[in-house]
Amino acid sequence: MDVAKELLSGTILAGARAIRWLDDGDPRGARTLAEIFPHTGNAHIIGITGPPGAGKSTLVNALISEQRRRGRRVGVIAIDPSSPFTGGAILGDRVRMGKHTLDPDVFIRSIGTRGQAGGLARSTHDACLILDAMGYDLVLVETVGVGQDEIDVVALAHTTVIVGVPGLGDEIQAVKAGLMEAGDLFVINKADRDGYEDTYRQFELMLHLRAESKALSSDDWSPPLLRAVAVKDEGIAEIVDAIDQHKAMLQNTGEFGLRSAQREREQALTLTCTEIMRSIRQSADPAILSAVEKREIDPYSASQLLIKNWQEGRGT
Amino acid sequence: MSNAHQRPLRILLAKLGMDTHTVGITIIAHALREAGMEVIFTGLKQTPEMVAAAAIQEDVDVVGISTLSAGHTRNLPKLARLLREAGAGDKLLLAGGVIPEEDRPLLEEAGVDRTFTMGSDTRDIVAYLNEWWVQQLAADA
Ligand code: B12
Ligand SMILES: Nc1nc2c(ncn2[C@@H]2O[C@H](COP(=O)(O)OP(=O)(O)OP(=O)(O)O)[C@@H](O)[C@H]2O)c(=O)[nH]1
Ligand SMILES: [Mg+2]
Repeated sequence: MDVAKELLSGTILAGARAIRWLDDGDPRGARTLAEIFPHTGNAHIIGITGPPGAGKSTLVNALISEQRRRGRRVGVIAIDPSSPFTGGAILGDRVRMGKHTLDPDVFIRSIGTRGQAGGLARSTHDACLILDAMGYDLVLVETVGVGQDEIDVVALAHTTVIVGVPGLGDEIQAVKAGLMEAGDLFVINKADRDGYEDTYRQFELMLHLRAESKALSSDDWSPPLLRAVAVKDEGIAEIVDAIDQHKAMLQNTGEFGLRSAQREREQALTLTCTEIMRSIRQSADPAILSAVEKREIDPYSASQLLIKNWQEGRGT
Repeated sequence: MSNAHQRPLRILLAKLGMDTHTVGITIIAHALREAGMEVIFTGLKQTPEMVAAAAIQEDVDVVGISTLSAGHTRNLPKLARLLREAGAGDKLLLAGGVIPEEDRPLLEEAGVDRTFTMGSDTRDIVAYLNEWWVQQLAADA
């Protein structure tokens, strides 16, 4: 099977295999990506993030239905945490999306974080490119349940949806700190629950503060605050409307292409840094390291030496 | 370059039909996670068609079905056939739960690679999968 060619014509088996290779760091993945990359840049990448159990998967399930109603082909990447001890994972987001399994225009992929911090897996970006190349109109990226600083999805997505829920209590502080500055769209899910009104007011206030602090910036998008009961499909059409409006705004301002361009640039730098780090670790002179262990050289001086040796070792 | 650590085995676990016995599949899911595997859980009330489609989207190496309420002589062969027809016949197909001894030849004939019934030690299941995975990685290298 010519995986690159097959996935460009939409073959699920091929797309699924390419994502596996990229997730596993198999060299065939990078080769495939090189071939399909010219055919990417079209899909609207939408991040869905929020605290654990907020109803992200349930919401994604409802969003898929609404997007399908609007005739769009949908890719989903659902990320769950891997165990830091064993590397294993139970990836269960799909359970809530079962009704779309047999829809040939919906592709759902579960990915474990495999040690990556920030709310995404290392391969999330690559998986988005594969789904993009397969011709999915949009990719919904569900992050792991996040705290305040796990907001890598913002750099990945064109549009980031922050999902809050009533009764977060102290967690709302976490949401405030990191996520409030990041989101393009705010959804309070489980609006059928007690405490909804309070939570709505808290979010409203924080969005107001955010608007004031951003008043001088050129960013003229004011993030809508929406309500949803994802389990009952309530408020879903309004969310997709708002997502569409955000996309239209991005396209009108040229920001859509800019965000994609910036993402690819950052990815190139990230890959470079990862590779250099690996190479430095691998080539590090054990004698220097053991001198640090014996307190004969301090860590700063040692690091200068290690860098110098590494550069010389590479003939630069 | 690839080794078992960088390439964890991916396994899909599911239950077919109206079978609501969840204890076994939950124990298996946790045991495999502890063994460093990626377990994709698709939930209850699946059809063979749904399991085959999900297994392909997820590009799992192994499909594991937990079956305690009969129906296995019908739906497991069907699942095996659907996987083959979709070009995914290379995936290992396992079944566990309540599977009478006399049904095993039929299941094996139909493409179920191995069954683990009541009282199976999860350590044996993990060992079996690890052994199979090491062989796969070696064959792929
Ligand atoms: C607990 C139980 C229930 C509970 C289930 C609770 C729950 N949430 O799971 C309740 C009370 C709800 C229940 C209901 C019913 N049950 Co019931 N139940 C049992 C019982 C007593 C134990 C099952 C169990 O949890 N075992 C413990 C786990 C750990 O064992 P396990 O599932 O077998 O898993 C092990 C292995 O099989 C293997 N394994 C399992 N799955 C997988 C998957 C993979 C991939 C692998 C590798 C291995 C593997 O590994 C596990 C570890 O060793 C069994 C009797 C029995 N001896 O099995 C009857 C039993 C399964 N039930 C039975 C029946 C008939 C029913 C009912 C239809 C009516 C009734 N008579 O009660 C209902 C309807 C359920 C339905 N719609 O499916 C029958 C099934 C008969 C058959 N298949 O021919 C049994 C066998 C009892 C009997 N002897 O009649 N049941
Ligand atoms: N009452 C109520 N419950 C909901 C609603 N949406 C989701 N839930 C429930 O909330 C629980 C968690 O839902 P998930 O969709 O799995 O949440 P999640 O954010 O994806 O969870 P993680 O991925 O584990 O972080 C489930 O029991 C859902 O049924 C809602 O609108 N109202
Ligand atoms: Mg989820």
